[in-house]
Amino acid sequence: MDDLQFRKSIYADPNTTDADVISAKNSDPAKQKFAQDIELLDKKILSALNVAVPDDLAERLILRQSLASHQQQKRRSRVKLALAASVAFAMGLTFNFMQFSNAYSNIGDYAIAHVNHEAQYFSNTDDAKVTLASLNKKMASFNGSFDDVFGELMMADYCRFDGMKSLHLVFRGKENPVNVFIIPNSEHLSFSPAFNSEWLKGRAQNFNQSNVIVVGDKTESLKQWQERINKNIRWSI
Amino acid sequence: MIKKIFGNNNHHAQVSNNMATKQVRYEALVKALHTDLYRYAYWLCHEKQVAEDLVQETFLRAWRALDSLKDEKAAKSWLITILRRENARRFERKRFDMSEYEEATITDTKATSSEQEIENHWLRDKIAAMPAEYREPLTLQVIGGFSGEEIAQVLSLNKNTVMTRLFRARNQLKEALDDEPQQRGQYNG
Repeated sequence: MDDLQFRKSIYADPNTTDADVISAKNSDPAKQKFAQDIELLDKKILSALNVAVPDDLAERLILRQSLASHQQQKRRSRVKLALAASVAFAMGLTFNFMQFSNAYSNIGDYAIAHVNHEAQYFSNTDDAKVTLASLNKKMASFNGSFDDVFGELMMADYCRFDGMKSLHLVFRGKENPVNVFIIPNSEHLSFSPAFNSEWLKGRAQNFNQSNVIVVGDKTESLKQWQERINKNIRWSI
Repeated sequence: MIKKIFGNNNHHAQVSNNMATKQVRYEALVKALHTDLYRYAYWLCHEKQVAEDLVQETFLRAWRALDSLKDEKAAKSWLITILRRENARRFERKRFDMSEYEEATITDTKATSSEQEIENHWLRDKIAAMPAEYREPLTLQVIGGFSGEEIAQVLSLNKNTVMTRLFRARNQLKEALDDEPQQRGQYNG
């Protein structure tokens, strides 16, 4: 190794572990002297570079970090709370929506569903014991009345008709009970004059403020029922 | 499943345990490396306060990204990389118009007691007056104890360039030292 190359290597890194440089150093006293000079220089450089570090720097670094991460944690727990609140809110909304939304689009669908749902509670053999007086008392809230009970009325009571207050009448039919609903005109259910399902059929009539729906099984003459209703019903203004 | 999401205490314990481990790692890192880092920062900016701010900012970023540090041996070069980026950011924000030479002189005028201190002082001025491209590899090598390859990686240079700069840096200091040995301590007249 020539002298220039050696000097360059030592200047670049006095603590080099390069085998060529080390053997060159050991074989030549002049090179050894030079290497020692540079090692001494490096000690001086190190001593000069080692400026005083503030005493409490480490403590301050740790303090600053714990403050920062405390802040972060507080922020994170606030985010968590906000998330939980949003989830609860969304669940509430969904629940509300499902509870009160309208699964049925027209009065026919709902009437059939309602009758199917309550079919088990009524049988054609129940006593027909509702009087005209009690029927008309209930009809009063629909601004209507009947001149006569046009059939054997087994039950007359207020019902929820897809969220609306309605009057549900159950008459004895030919084979199965006939259901009559008196419901206010609705905005969310569309009117359908005739409808049917597998074993039920229905008809609806629109009066001034109310709809009257008749639902019975397929053997029933609904037309006849409607005529009877029309003959007896009176609407007050 | 709900229990999995909300009620997993075990998971909580794990998290705080991880936090504790992270804290321990962080404190160890600070204690082991803050001296080197501060000195390196000082030689980057030549101002004690700025150096300290840089180190603060660096360690704060290091804390946030601590999980990404897999190899503890790489910690020093990792921190130095963060610090250099912070320093560069400082210049993006505002370019300080200062003479490096003067700053270096200001910082250490008090510490001129012993012969050694006088020599340090004199050498510091020479180092501060050196071009940054020579000084930076030198500080990395002498303070940081990095090899040529590691310096090349930190500074994104190739190794030959780094070795050449190291050679020039020492060569300059050696020549300066040989030229004015007897004037040391009197140069400020």
